Amino acid sequence: MKLTEQQLSELAAELDQVKAGVMSQLGDKEARYIRRMLLTQRLSAVSGRILMVLGFITPWLWVLGVALLALAKILDNMEIGHNVLHGQYDWMNDPVLHSQRFEWDIACDAGSWKRTHNFEHHTYTNIIGKDRDFGYGLLRLSNDFRWRLRNLWQFVTYLVLSTLFQWGVSYHELAGERVFFGKKKPDRINSVSHSDLKKAFFGKGARQLLKDYVFFPLIAGPMWLWVLAGNLLANIIRNLWTSTVIFCGHFTADVHTFSQEQCEGESRGHWYYRQMLGSSNFTGPRWFHILTGHLSCQIEHHLFPDMPALHYLNVAPQVEAIAKKYGIAYNSGSFLRQYATVVARIIRYSFPGGKATTV
Amino acid sequence: MNKTISLWGQSLYRQFSLMLANQPKLGYYLHPLLRWNKPQLHPDYHSARIVDFCWETDQMLSVWLEPASSWAGFTPGQHLLVTMMHQGRYISRSFSISSSSAVFARQKQIRISCRIQSQGEFTKALAAGISEFTHLSISDAMGDFVLEPKVDAALEQSIVMVAAGSGITPLWSMLSSLRCWTSPVVLFYCVKNAAQAAFLAELKLLAAKQPLFELQLIETATCGRLNLVQQLKAKAGFSLTKAFYYVCGPAAMSRQYKDELIQQGAPSTAIYTELFGLAVTAAEGPVKQALFMQQGKLTTVEAAAGVSLLQAAEHQGLNPRFGCRIGVCYQCVCQKKSGQVLNLRTGQISGDGPEQIQLCISAAHSNLQIEL
Repeated sequence: MKLTEQQLSELAAELDQVKAGVMSQLGDKEARYIRRMLLTQRLSAVSGRILMVLGFITPWLWVLGVALLALAKILDNMEIGHNVLHGQYDWMNDPVLHSQRFEWDIACDAGSWKRTHNFEHHTYTNIIGKDRDFGYGLLRLSNDFRWRLRNLWQFVTYLVLSTLFQWGVSYHELAGERVFFGKKKPDRINSVSHSDLKKAFFGKGARQLLKDYVFFPLIAGPMWLWVLAGNLLANIIRNLWTSTVIFCGHFTADVHTFSQEQCEGESRGHWYYRQMLGSSNFTGPRWFHILTGHLSCQIEHHLFPDMPALHYLNVAPQVEAIAKKYGIAYNSGSFLRQYATVVARIIRYSFPGGKATTV
Repeated sequence: MNKTISLWGQSLYRQFSLMLANQPKLGYYLHPLLRWNKPQLHPDYHSARIVDFCWETDQMLSVWLEPASSWAGFTPGQHLLVTMMHQGRYISRSFSISSSSAVFARQKQIRISCRIQSQGEFTKALAAGISEFTHLSISDAMGDFVLEPKVDAALEQSIVMVAAGSGITPLWSMLSSLRCWTSPVVLFYCVKNAAQAAFLAELKLLAAKQPLFELQLIETATCGRLNLVQQLKAKAGFSLTKAFYYVCGPAAMSRQYKDELIQQGAPSTAIYTELFGLAVTAAEGPVKQALFMQQGKLTTVEAAAGVSLLQAAEHQGLNPRFGCRIGVCYQCVCQKKSGQVLNLRTGQISGDGPEQIQLCISAAHSNLQIEL
């Protein structure tokens, strides 16, 4: 169903009101929440690294240590990092939680992330040719893309990407800017020089490698191999988890895409409309939402990227009611169901043909 | 040589901290861990325990603080930035220290005295929360509104002090810190009425005890505003050109007294002023001046009302970081040093202190200083 400009502007007004209702109330509650989250993250990181070394008493301590370090990295990247980098806590005026200063425990440089994710992905969500997050230039996820031979084994590509996800994210901007390979695309606005991109990529990557695979193993003395293996495992667990959550937010069966012509000079209402159709939610218990950084509420996140994420669950019923009122699909389901449709989508478009998902 | 080594050390520490904790200093990593139950403590500043508080007048609250040992001390007359968490966010305001250096040397305590302002977010929140707070954050002491060392030594030059309202705080700190009185000091203390004069009993006691100190209480409600030049000219054996002046009060008042004194031949280097109260007043006309600082380079940007600062800066040839330009992506966030901005999305007007703003949805509401 196509909405008129009048309907779109009413839609924008209603969603703006939902947002204002939350944003005008920000205060102690949100500050306490995110500070507690930071505390949990620090405690699990420190205890995880210590327990790994204590693995010589019983390997179960090592297992617990790996789990805690993976938890710390997941909290740092998802509920803290991703949300802080969106400016959700800038109003707190806290240097530890400010989007301009925040740096996270992942190979991707925060500055590069803010350009490719906050700006490119959130502004041009699911516009074919503009939002490179749709398939990451590696996967064919709709018939808007020409089939190529390499798509035949794209499920394996997907598994490799998931395992190395932090490096994929880190290299994402350099790939788009054709820093090392390929011909530069004429329509890209290049705000950062290639040498700065390389510096950030290698600098951040090296620091992360040095920390997990040189520094901590070295100070662990005879337990160095356990610590090295534990850090590697924790990083892989984090990679698989973040990749899965993100794929479930944008690549489920019913997620729509858009053409560049449709979005030329679009209104704020159309932007909202596109965000709703381009995202999907999944359900689960509270702790599960926290581990996803509330990206389980991807629709609400895309409508209100700078709203502190703990509120997404509260506003979801209002958003769903508005979607229903305007006849816009509200794509939500259990985690397993959504993930199954992601896998099906990756496999379906491995082969030529299929539907174009552009509305 | 030492400086080079220390710079190397700093850079090495920074790199180490970035590697280990992804933070420019390890304190940022440890802060949520160590200070989780003390939200008042800001990671950039020193912790200060609240020892006691009392009301000097019905509008002026004094708070005694015990700064952590990392705090380096102060020279009487200096001010510092006090920070606290209010409704989940850090807010700051600067206050002069109103206690003497002797008390700090003896008890490691300092006092700040603040006038509670009905429109002031900080002072109102401080007054409301003071009985529950245990700590506040404080910056290093700052400012050069201090007694000339020459004066304290032996020169027989007189000192003239002018305080308006809460402007008494740095002056009282200087007076109560003076150990060896060698020159005559006269203090003109302007208040609406005596009931609003903080530290009046202490000042009177000092005047009775110390023959070189003269207190002139000016109650503006009954005798109007102080005519400084006239008063000084009437003083026997006083030369306007051979005195040091310390003026502390609202910006307009300080400026006026300074101009008058210079007209009378007082050297401008002998006049010290400290501005109190809300220093920001809206500039004339709709166009405001925004001073952008970018890696040490200053650019003045004409910022018209209703035009985003990002646009204004770009028009002037600056290239601040930007992204979505609709307030979504937060790439253009930068530090406002002073001045007020209007949020073009919400219509809200900001405070005048340092804070982070989104350039793409902020317009100048007063003259501004911005760091890119």
